[in-house]
Amino acid sequence: MQIVLKDFTKTFDGNTVIDRMNLTVRDGEMLALLGPSGCGKSTTLFAICGIHRVNGGQILFGERDVSNMPSQQRNVGVVFQNYALYPHMSVFDNIAFPLKVRNDSKADIARDVRTIAELTHIAELLGRRPGQLSGGQQQRVALARALVRKPDVLLLDEPLANLDAKLRLEMRSEIRRIQLETGITAILVTHDQVEAMSMCDRIAIMKGGQILQIDAPKDMYHNPRTSFVAGFLGNPPISFLDGRTMDGRFLDEGTGVTLPLPAGVTVANGTGLTVGIRPEHFGHAGDVPVRGKVVFAETQGRENLYDVALPNGALLRSVQPARDDVRPGDEVSWQLNSAAALFFTEDGRRL
Amino acid sequence: MPARSYLTGLAFLSPALFVLIGFFFLPVVLTAVFAFTNMSTSTGISGGSYVITGNLLGSLKAQGVAPTVVDALSQASFVVDEQSIAKAQAAGTDAQFLAEIEQQLSGKAFSEERAFERELKSLRYRPRSIRDLKLAVDQFELSVLNTRFASAAEAREAVSELVPSAPADVVDEIVDASYTGWRWTTSNFTRLVSSSDTWRLVGNTIFYVAVTLSFTVFVGLFLAVTTFYLPAGAASAFSMLWLLPRITPVVLYTVMWKWFTWEGGFVYTAAQALGLPAFNYMKGSVPTAWTIVIMVNGFIGAAFAMILFSGALKAIPVQQLWASEADGASRWQQIRFIILPHLRWPILFVVSYQTLSLLSSYQEIWLTTNGGPGRTTTVWALESFNTALNSYTGNLQYGLGAAMALILVIVGVALSILYLRLFRFDELLSRPKIEF
Ligand SMILES: Nc1ncnc2c1ncn2[C@@H]1O[C@H](COP(=O)(O)OP(=O)(O)OP(=O)(O)O)[C@@H](O)[C@H]1O
Ligand SMILES: [Mg+2]
Repeated sequence: MQIVLKDFTKTFDGNTVIDRMNLTVRDGEMLALLGPSGCGKSTTLFAICGIHRVNGGQILFGERDVSNMPSQQRNVGVVFQNYALYPHMSVFDNIAFPLKVRNDSKADIARDVRTIAELTHIAELLGRRPGQLSGGQQQRVALARALVRKPDVLLLDEPLANLDAKLRLEMRSEIRRIQLETGITAILVTHDQVEAMSMCDRIAIMKGGQILQIDAPKDMYHNPRTSFVAGFLGNPPISFLDGRTMDGRFLDEGTGVTLPLPAGVTVANGTGLTVGIRPEHFGHAGDVPVRGKVVFAETQGRENLYDVALPNGALLRSVQPARDDVRPGDEVSWQLNSAAALFFTEDGRRL
Repeated sequence: MPARSYLTGLAFLSPALFVLIGFFFLPVVLTAVFAFTNMSTSTGISGGSYVITGNLLGSLKAQGVAPTVVDALSQASFVVDEQSIAKAQAAGTDAQFLAEIEQQLSGKAFSEERAFERELKSLRYRPRSIRDLKLAVDQFELSVLNTRFASAAEAREAVSELVPSAPADVVDEIVDASYTGWRWTTSNFTRLVSSSDTWRLVGNTIFYVAVTLSFTVFVGLFLAVTTFYLPAGAASAFSMLWLLPRITPVVLYTVMWKWFTWEGGFVYTAAQALGLPAFNYMKGSVPTAWTIVIMVNGFIGAAFAMILFSGALKAIPVQQLWASEADGASRWQQIRFIILPHLRWPILFVVSYQTLSLLSSYQEIWLTTNGGPGRTTTVWALESFNTALNSYTGNLQYGLGAAMALILVIVGVALSILYLRLFRFDELLSRPKIEF
């Protein structure tokens, strides 16, 4: 089911948190909502599932306007950021709750709960209380509870934050598999970019209650529309150099780095620009040599990570296949791939 | 380590123990002691003496003591013998006169005072004044009627002297019955068990407690839940209003109910205007009297329950309510499956606390219907209060009242234990949150 937010506005006690946000989640799509803390991700989810009433605009499920429909009638499964399990019920009863309140038969409930519990690897915990579970186990119970009644829409507010690395990987693919199989429309709020990129069809980046860009993960990474998006995606993050245009080229006066502007772009001489260079485009292959001093080195097993300080103090990050010939303090001259450089105007728009 | 934590525990408990002993065990022990006596206004609470009264003789006769013995006891006789002469001498009767009596009348007995007096008047050394004569006559009187004997032995001697033919066990029975002080007895309990009044009281009390308690819990829950869903400002004004029955002094509160329901009161006037039956609802009919008794007490409890329930409701994490809504629970299901389980402990508390306080409180009933009309709304606590401390006839039966109170205490303790079991109270209290 397609979800559309039209001019969605949310105000808390006169303080507008989200101002006329527009967002479309396609039918059967899994969308990641990514953004800094406090940007309104949870608020958006709460509005979609009906816990918060909208202060303006509309929310559409398919053709249906659900803006004023109570939560109970929306058939939305939600995994809350802090699980919100019912402490007085066993795990079984927690998962069975959505089925019980719609008066499913006992046998059906037992079967459905068992199926979903096996899927989320909590079958052996069904008799316990939430208070007797670890954080990760609670999270899976919350997930099972959201999924058990096969909702039209699935909302996940950081559902994997507390899992260990292995379990997280496993749950990631499980959630994705369930979502693809059921064709359910899902929104995933996360702080983990890898999670967002690996699980979702599209990513929406939010800031201050606005969607800045919404795109497939690859496009988002390679074609950020603003410097904020470019900076937000990527780990280790992109590095920025400030400079201005000079004779159709970009020149960083402080370091003397000059780069060709992308083809078909004409900018008046002397315009202030920012160039963004991702760490994988600096270091081992490229066309522009850049001199600097290694100030930080970190090995991550397969790859090494370096921070290189340019003469004016600006930093460039570099990711390279593991090597052990460079140490902090060394002077290096590494190649920069100018074709992959991203240019932004001073107010952050992509050229 | 365990020893230390036991000591800490004991230290924390000691104030509670003092209070428990001073305000619970001591009164209970005293009640238990009184319950096994027949103390009343007439016996007093210190020791008594032995007095044979006309009434007592009447009831002895009814109990099958031989009429000859009873009649003999009820009669006075005048005997001249060594003893009575010694007594008269001690009382200061003229010695010459006394010697004359001894000489002339020794060994004689008179059953009538007049005859003995005539006999004495014929003597030479008789006193001049009638008064002195009468005084002398009195010294020879042998009667137990209305004479106060300090000990049982004295009384026994007096009786057997008067009725030498009476067998010893009959004498003992008479003396025993003549005791005016209190004594140990279980008759309070046998009397309670055998009286049909008791069972009516029990019925009234169960009805009163059960209905008032349900009223309290349901109204308390209703108020707490409705105020929970109300906007904050309205909710606090609303709950303030419902708190009034709790914070108004009982006397004022009951007087307000009287204004409300008596002739010329609010409900009365309203009913009259509407053409409905108008009368003194508090005392005019049994159903209205019960309704008022239940509401008077129920609203006090409901206000108390509302506070507790509201507090517990506020402590429910809001996310759980959100989750239940998203899970599709209707308002009612939300209340039933999320809110009520969170209120289990306060509900237990209100139920047990209110059961006990309703069982033992009588002042609201006393101040409103006073158990009427007739004795239809009299409950156990009110009856034991009336028996022990507030009798119309003026004879306060402390012993019987204490026995009734003791039964109340036993029922209360039994109920508390039952409640603790039922609500698995130990589970709620089980482990300390922080381990020592
Ligand atoms: N009930 C509320 N009353 C007032 N302000 C609120 C309320 N809920 C959220 N806010 C504010 O709205 C903004 C968005 O909050 P929201 O919870 O949506 O953030 P978020 O993007 O989910 O952050 P995080 O990643 O930390 O969970 C925050 O500035 C927050 O302070
Ligand atoms: Mg959040």
